[in-house]
Amino acid sequence: MTPLLHFADVSFSYGERLVLDGIEFSIAEKSCVALIGPNGIGKTTLLQLAAGMLSCSSGTVWFNGCRLNSVRRMEAARQVALVPQHVDVPFEFTVEQIVEQGRTPYLGLFAGLTREDRRAVERAMEFTDITSLRNRVFNELSGGERQRVKVALALAQQPRLLLLDEPTQNLDLGRRLELLNLIHSLNQEGVTILASMHDLQLIEGTFSSVLLLNPDRRLVSGSAEEILRPGILESAFDCPPRHGLMPTDEPKILVERKP
Amino acid sequence: MSESAIAMIPSMKAHKIHLGFIMCALIGLLVVVLLLSIGIGAVKVPIDSVLGFLLGQRSLSPNEKVILFQIRLPRILAAGLVGAALSVAGLLFQGLFRNPLADPYVIGSSGGAVLGGSVGMFMLPQFSWFGFSATAVLAFVGSAATIGLVYWLARVSGRTPIVNLLLAGFAVSTMLSYSSYFVEILGEDYGVGMRALASWLHGVIGVPSWTQLSVIAVMTCLGGLFSLPLARRLNTLALGEGYAHQLGIRVEYTRIGIIAVGSLLTAAAVSVGGLISFVGLVVPHLGRMMMGPDNVRLLPVTALLGAILLMLTDTLARTLLAPSELPVGVLMAFIGGPFFLYLLRKTKREYSL
Repeated sequence: MTPLLHFADVSFSYGERLVLDGIEFSIAEKSCVALIGPNGIGKTTLLQLAAGMLSCSSGTVWFNGCRLNSVRRMEAARQVALVPQHVDVPFEFTVEQIVEQGRTPYLGLFAGLTREDRRAVERAMEFTDITSLRNRVFNELSGGERQRVKVALALAQQPRLLLLDEPTQNLDLGRRLELLNLIHSLNQEGVTILASMHDLQLIEGTFSSVLLLNPDRRLVSGSAEEILRPGILESAFDCPPRHGLMPTDEPKILVERKP
Repeated sequence: MSESAIAMIPSMKAHKIHLGFIMCALIGLLVVVLLLSIGIGAVKVPIDSVLGFLLGQRSLSPNEKVILFQIRLPRILAAGLVGAALSVAGLLFQGLFRNPLADPYVIGSSGGAVLGGSVGMFMLPQFSWFGFSATAVLAFVGSAATIGLVYWLARVSGRTPIVNLLLAGFAVSTMLSYSSYFVEILGEDYGVGMRALASWLHGVIGVPSWTQLSVIAVMTCLGGLFSLPLARRLNTLALGEGYAHQLGIRVEYTRIGIIAVGSLLTAAAVSVGGLISFVGLVVPHLGRMMMGPDNVRLLPVTALLGAILLMLTDTLARTLLAPSELPVGVLMAFIGGPFFLYLLRKTKREYSL
């Protein structure tokens, strides 16, 4: 079976600086994958390559058996959505207006939103539980609310592959669990997920497999149990064993996803 | 909680105002302002005799006809077109720079248009391209080149910080407007050129011929038409370059489109009205206060508001100190300057990125 996303020997450099070197991995349809690795290792770059926002310096990104950068931008935006870490909106757009932007890849040059577009927007807002916020100004929302609005925007694109860049960053524990529940239920609906994560404790239970970008630029993939092991993590995150994240042999799960 | 509850009131209100209702009200206001402005001036023509003439019930003296149809009406229509063009250009540039303080004057595109236009006026007075004079064509080129330059100068890693934008725009615009003096000195009719240039730099809407008027009307209407598909793109661009790109927008083409259309509108305005400041800043902001930030709804409202504002201001400019005339650019600076400063203070926190 063709994987939904396949990186074949992908390298990327910003000018002289090589960020990703010969990356190779596949993601099957309907899987839920966490991308981990130390800061500045290129997780965001990898997600942007997967979204077709950047073109790789060498190698090929395959989406559903097609070269991603030969797919028309509008078509790609209906298949892949990326929830970025930051967004700053210089005008006072309401939540509903922001979510409507997710329909951009479905609109013609002059056409407005059709009934079907409206329905997709409504569904996205219901799924992320932000219908009560629809007339609020986006800039005045809390971090957790903003995160849900960003996910709703991506859902309005009705993507097959949803990429999330540090979705739990800057959220308190309750909001993190809320977001993980959201990711989990999206995955249950059949959306393929690839999310970069800093909270290693939150991975197990939600994500079925893990991609680890090592400082030596090697990519390791496996199930959560295989990757979230002290030995592997200590070398990847360069923390001494004694003061390491996980001093025991077993991955330490501090919190569990709500049922 | 109470704070956020208060904050949501204005935005909800803005959301509910019906576009059709606002448009009808503004068109009505536009007609009233037009009729009022026709009647007012050195020679008073009462509004009922103007209306009577239009309805064919009354005749006007030949003198009155000349005043109304060769002098006043072209000027008023020109003011309306200039106001609409500058306002829509302002809206486009604010979207392009993702900054509500951008305006054709502030970012220097007007300065570029003045320089280009003066090259056309003083060095190529005979030139004509499909009925467009060298002034109009080169004003467009000058404006587009300037925005490109300011945009490139002011951008820092995907953002256009307000400080960079204002400083780059200020420097470029000052250099360009005053370079026009050189062009003028190198030109042929020294004395005539000097006066034309002076009134240009001060923003005087003279009495355009009907030919001139139709040229800028065509440019403004084309600009407005091309802005329609850009309006929705502006909403998407507001989320940032990366977002727009991943939503399927071809950001570079869209930017080039915005620069081209904005320059077309600026050139139309500058070729008849010269440097008029702050219209493109004040009007989109008034529009946002009424309609919220959705550019699709803002576009028609901005065009009409701009036309109304500049018609009013120009009528004031020619009657306030009658029989002498103030350049409308001067009056606009008095109105728009304080407004700009108010915005700068108010938005300091949010837009100082």
